[in-house]
Amino acid sequence: MESRTEFKIKTPPSDAISAVEFGPNSTQFLLVSSWDSTVRLYDIHANSMRLKYNHELPVLDVAFQDAVHAYSGGLDNTLKMYDINSNTESIMGTHEKPIRKIEYCGAVHAILTGGWDAAVKLWDPRSPTCVGTYLQPDVVLALSVCGDKFVVGTAKRKVCIWDLRNMAGMFQRRESSLKYQTRCIKGFPNEQGYVLSSIEGRVAVEYLDTTQEAQKKKYAFKCHRIKENNVENIYPVNAISFHSTYNTFATGGSDGYVNIWDGFNKKRLCQFHRYNAGVAALSFSHDGSVLAIGVSYLNEVEIPPGGSNEESIYIRYVNDQETKPK
Amino acid sequence: MGRKKKKQSRPWCWYCNREFDDEKILIQHQKAKHFKCHICHKKLYTGPGLSIHCMQVHKEAIDKVPNSLPNRSNIEIEIYGMEGIPPNDAKEHERQRNGGRPGSPSSGEDEPAPKKAKPEGLLGSAPGAMPTGSNMMPGVMSGMQGHPGMPPMGQYPPPMHPMMGHMGHVGPPFMGHGNLHPRSMMQGMPGMPPGMQPPVSGASMPPARPLFPSAAAVSTAATSTSASTPLGADFKPITSIAGGSIGPIKPTFPAYSGSENSAVTSTNSSEQKVNLIATTGAASKIIHPSEDLSLEEIRARLPKYQRRQSEESRPSQPDATQQAAALQQQHQQQQAAAATAAAAFQDQHQRQQAALSALQQQQQRFQRPPQAVMVPASAAMPVSSVALMAPLMRPTMTLAAPALIHGGNMMRPPPMGLPPGMIGALPPGAMHPAFAAPMGFPGAPMLAPMMHPRFR
Repeated sequence: MESRTEFKIKTPPSDAISAVEFGPNSTQFLLVSSWDSTVRLYDIHANSMRLKYNHELPVLDVAFQDAVHAYSGGLDNTLKMYDINSNTESIMGTHEKPIRKIEYCGAVHAILTGGWDAAVKLWDPRSPTCVGTYLQPDVVLALSVCGDKFVVGTAKRKVCIWDLRNMAGMFQRRESSLKYQTRCIKGFPNEQGYVLSSIEGRVAVEYLDTTQEAQKKKYAFKCHRIKENNVENIYPVNAISFHSTYNTFATGGSDGYVNIWDGFNKKRLCQFHRYNAGVAALSFSHDGSVLAIGVSYLNEVEIPPGGSNEESIYIRYVNDQETKPK
Repeated sequence: MGRKKKKQSRPWCWYCNREFDDEKILIQHQKAKHFKCHICHKKLYTGPGLSIHCMQVHKEAIDKVPNSLPNRSNIEIEIYGMEGIPPNDAKEHERQRNGGRPGSPSSGEDEPAPKKAKPEGLLGSAPGAMPTGSNMMPGVMSGMQGHPGMPPMGQYPPPMHPMMGHMGHVGPPFMGHGNLHPRSMMQGMPGMPPGMQPPVSGASMPPARPLFPSAAAVSTAATSTSASTPLGADFKPITSIAGGSIGPIKPTFPAYSGSENSAVTSTNSSEQKVNLIATTGAASKIIHPSEDLSLEEIRARLPKYQRRQSEESRPSQPDATQQAAALQQQHQQQQAAAATAAAAFQDQHQRQQAALSALQQQQQRFQRPPQAVMVPASAAMPVSSVALMAPLMRPTMTLAAPALIHGGNMMRPPPMGLPPGMIGALPPGAMHPAFAAPMGFPGAPMLAPMMHPRFR
């Protein structure tokens, strides 16, 4: 489905998409990491691929540090830094097991990585070295910066909140309020809390503030479920991305839908049409005017649904009607 | 003229300025002309109603009211018949009816031809009308972008009606200018293409504040501890305070849980047995494999994603501090003992030990200066986990050092060619004007000192 508000990116990766990320100050550049072991940079305005580099094994996440520096890591355990200006890559270091999540933290100008070795590492882009390794209770599945704190979601539904100003110990330790495996975590742009999604079609809105009043506001809701023949199919909620100004967020599920939510007013603002496979990755541009949607089959079931197993990245221009709280 | 209209009595349509005899007819007109869904032809009751219908039923966003004047296309305003018309517009309409020529303002798009034959000539000759008209142009234009069924710029007679709507009420010329222009600009805004949204206000973006230089090891302890972090004197997080009010925190992991002991044990247990998810309920099914592993972990086990077995040794990467190295090593040993793939791990570990000694020997023999290596994108650079190198060494050097273990390419100079990623890419600095100036990195010889600017 092509229309004036949405188009597909040309020359997409040849295997599932693991992450999409817009550059920090423009809507022009989009980084995409993939299971085909590549990281690609696309020019959205021209709909062309600007560059591509390889890892040895599938890449699970990618992040911009600034407009010209990208960081990527994946099953090869290696954190790479890529200089987009000079087309050069360098290896920052490694985890003991695959790197699952990479985040740039503007508050301390550092890169955070979380891996299946149950560690979160902090990297100084300038030295460039690992300046700290912080053990987590279990395999890291989700990681998001939230102001000067960051939130780690691990296997066994653990949630750890760390304060970058004091990394001597965990700042808060929680258990996910959802009953099933944590799939994705994203911090609110206003730094008050975070949104956590699980594999069981459910999303929780949580607050960092531990006072009673703040905690009273937390809630969870069901989504990304489809009823077929009296059986409700419940899909993992794979991706969350925040609109930086409105504090609304988009969720993408393996059901192939993208929903946009107003978390403070507990309202769904809109739902897009169904994509041809599950939504694996989402990224709003810095100004919230564009949403990149990575669509891939992620082996949720043994046999890919409908046989359509192609990877695509959609670019959708969104308007206030879809993203602004009513 | 016996049929002079009663003052203010005739209902009119805000969207197209057309007048009607009866509000019922007006409502019919609005439903048919302005509130009809272009996909399923359902007639809705208001602009927002139409917008919500299209969003929910067809998943399509509508940004303008169909068949409306360019500056009256705002779909967010709720208008039903004469209700909801912005007061300014109502006054404007009123004034224009009284002050302007009777009959002239009623020049909607949908009006039958006879009614609108006259006004052009009158307007053109009216003193003061033209300047006002030209001032209005920008506003009208901005509202007009992409308006369905509207010619690009209707300056000449046939498609002129939208503008005549305004020109008609130019009665007192200066008023027309003062009131009209800002409003038509305002209403042009929602019609802007989404790519051109007004810039985001800087206030809402969190300023990048360097709380401390990131080099000042974050790993070192609580120098910057503030009152906001509930930590005990022994650095154990006081989770009873922090988490006390946060619902389901298991008391099984009390305050000690921050230490690595419990972390390691839980990691071990997770590797020993994988929990299963009850994916199928009575009336529901979770579309997820039954193992309680992430989709990525399960997918990563597919044969096509396995590392090529031909790789013999797995050279190492340095870490920041020896402490971290020791910690990691210990951690890995514990993990390896418990891992299901214990054999493989042990094997790897032994190889690493061997690599370590080999490396040390090599280092003693060749006192190579630190050297930066460009890693071509295609070069398979095997990596491993345990930090072996002395803390002083730069990671860039160790890229060269592991090559020594292979024994193969140690004599070769560092690769000078450009990585394959460069093919088809623009030359450095040409990508974006903002990127160009300070970061322009010459594609020429790669020497150690030159590496550093890239890490700024």
